[in-house]
Amino acid sequence: MNLWAYTIRRLLLLIPTLLGLTLIVFILSHVSGNNVILAEYLSPKLTGAARAIATQALIARFHLNQPIYVQYFYWLNAILHGNWGYTNTAIYSGPVTTAIALFLPNTLMLSVVAAILIWIIGVRFGVYSAVNRDSVSDHALRVGSFTLYAMPIYLIGVALIIVLGVYLKVLPISGVVSPTMVSGLSWYVNGISYPTHIIIIDAMLHGAWGVALNAAIHLLLPAITLALAIVAGLIRILRSSMLEVLDQDYIRLARSKGLSERIVYNLHARKNALLPVITLFGLTVAGLLGGAVVVETIFNYPGIGYWTTQALLDSDVGGIMAATLLFGLILVVANLLVDLIYAFVDPRIRY
Amino acid sequence: MEYTLNVSNLKEQFYTRRGIYKALNGVDILLRKGEILGIAGESGCGKTTLGLTIIGLLPRNAVVTDGEILLDGKDLIATLREFASKEANNPNLRHSENIMKKLNKQLINVRGSRISMVFQDPMTSLNPVLRIGYQIAETLMVHQPEVLAKRRLARSKVKDDDLREALKLLENGADEQSIKAFAETRQLEGIEEQLLNIWRRNDLGIARKEKMILSLRSERLGGFDMAVLQRVVSQGRIDGWMRIPGLNRMSKAVLIKEGNTKAVELLSSLEIPNPEEVVKMYPHELSGGMRQRIIIAIALANNPELVIMDEPTSALDVTVQAQILDLLKHLKQRFNTSFILISHDLSVLAEVCDRIGIMYAGRIVEVATVDAIFNKPLHPYTTMLISAVPTIKGGEIQGIGGAVPDMRFPPSGCMFHPRCPYVMDKCRENNPQMKYVEDEHLVACYLYEGQKGEQN
Repeated sequence: MNLWAYTIRRLLLLIPTLLGLTLIVFILSHVSGNNVILAEYLSPKLTGAARAIATQALIARFHLNQPIYVQYFYWLNAILHGNWGYTNTAIYSGPVTTAIALFLPNTLMLSVVAAILIWIIGVRFGVYSAVNRDSVSDHALRVGSFTLYAMPIYLIGVALIIVLGVYLKVLPISGVVSPTMVSGLSWYVNGISYPTHIIIIDAMLHGAWGVALNAAIHLLLPAITLALAIVAGLIRILRSSMLEVLDQDYIRLARSKGLSERIVYNLHARKNALLPVITLFGLTVAGLLGGAVVVETIFNYPGIGYWTTQALLDSDVGGIMAATLLFGLILVVANLLVDLIYAFVDPRIRY
Repeated sequence: MEYTLNVSNLKEQFYTRRGIYKALNGVDILLRKGEILGIAGESGCGKTTLGLTIIGLLPRNAVVTDGEILLDGKDLIATLREFASKEANNPNLRHSENIMKKLNKQLINVRGSRISMVFQDPMTSLNPVLRIGYQIAETLMVHQPEVLAKRRLARSKVKDDDLREALKLLENGADEQSIKAFAETRQLEGIEEQLLNIWRRNDLGIARKEKMILSLRSERLGGFDMAVLQRVVSQGRIDGWMRIPGLNRMSKAVLIKEGNTKAVELLSSLEIPNPEEVVKMYPHELSGGMRQRIIIAIALANNPELVIMDEPTSALDVTVQAQILDLLKHLKQRFNTSFILISHDLSVLAEVCDRIGIMYAGRIVEVATVDAIFNKPLHPYTTMLISAVPTIKGGEIQGIGGAVPDMRFPPSGCMFHPRCPYVMDKCRENNPQMKYVEDEHLVACYLYEGQKGEQN
């Protein structure tokens, strides 16, 4: 079977997964009960009969008197039409979709930078560790990665803030850009940059290179924190998978062909050793999202994780539901990508 | 007599946590040009270790303590011996590893181009994530990039008239020399092997071959590719600006592509059906016998002087085994290559070998022609080994009592003495030397002492 047929089959399999996901998110909202939903819409000033009438009107409007499965289809219909409800938190209130449009780009930027760091650091050190097995540097790497692996992400973040931000004062510890840099700029209003909402890219689009550089420096610490928290596992797994591959017969054959050690390691061995790591990419995305919630909160970085934390603290049901659905969607899509990448790099998998 | 390979008194030990294994205890081999030498013996007698030592692929804990391996008179493992003589009694394994790295660098131009090896299990010996064509093209590109470059340049230079004329020559039964001369006069070096390879294919009809030859004239080369190929031809290897990362990958791409077309020719010469399709496949799409043929193709790609085959048929079923053995016989006639065929299966060796060496506990104890080994075995071990092979006539199979000795504590004297029915007192004390008993028959046993004794 070729790659296209495989892709289409995987896309079709996505439909039941997504239905399951929406079902769970919908049930979550019902656990909290109708009163919470109504409280969002009922003015506290209304009392007595007027309140009862308004309540009845809302119940009819949101189909709350219908059976739960009918409600689910109403809700699904709304979700599919882009109506994800409303959020009302300390940092933003308005339609959820707008909130996502404002906050998601920042998280994407952070995740992409962290992912690149993870890939570069992880692959390099993982392969190095395996190739120089049992050397002093391998042992040092092992101790280092175990230490990082054992540390919760906020501890890494706080440690980096204290060392790099407070004592050495080399990196800024909060926000996306220095406020003084952006005051009075036409494309930066109320902490939101236009048009892409990612300040580095917007600054470059407007030719403000100083602002872009400043924003990039602000991005470093959160990205490093996120990367360090996740990279340790990658190094461990790549090392053991590389060691396993180096014992294979085809590596011996590659050597007997007269290939240099560099080609043997970097092509013949690494290509095979990365296969199990790619499977873990799905977990890495989950780690990035989960990590983003913590890291963005520590560093006051206005991304989707920061917004989610605010929604949780403010008991904002619309925000929490939307964030749960969004995180679920991203994970599902990431896992689809993993399977496709896997089929692309491992010819044996295209069953 | 010219010898391709001369191994003398090769001794090797493995340092493990549980003790020092004396894997090879003075192996002597003389291999003639174009000969197939079989090596037989029980499991654990050092057959595979011998093969891996000749090609220099040693594990980290191996130390060669003595002996030399001469390939066309040049010592391959001088570096290892140097180390062994310096740290003979108490070798430091860390130093040994560094020495191995040095040896690897020295042998990189020998492996795959002058000596290659075919391993036991074809199912796991090909890289699962690389295409067959690439795996063959790679070894061509590493060892003879200039040949690939010439082939490609010739195809871009050749004119339709040249091809038509070459075709006429081939149809009139021109031999290799005259086609070569033709290519040289037209300044098309590199085209001759393509012409001949297409012409020699058995799987295509004459009309198809004519069409293929006439369509050899290929699309013109891009400027960058042209520069790469010309530099490779003039330098004979990939170097200079072609080593810059990025450019390196781009330079290799054109050579790998040409390597793929050469791989097709190579596979068709090994009678692999449909080679154009096979080079695009991944290993898992092929059967075991097919994969072993691919591995043999990789081993033969650069026309090596010596091919070591370590149990090439043991993992295959009997019918495929027969096909591979047929292929070997055929190869022996076509290529001027010497083979060392390692197997525990004497019937396989009897099928294809010129001479057979019997190995026991890290030593070769008897070497003779196939005929002599089977009809007039001298060493008691050989005799017992042959009587342990089941025959079609039936009858009780005679096993060999006892087991291969623990090589951490090898027996004194002749290693076979604990299992030997003819054991004498001096067998327990002294190790017999290899001696010529007849012209082509060497044996290491005191039973034949004094019969035309001249040491090897």
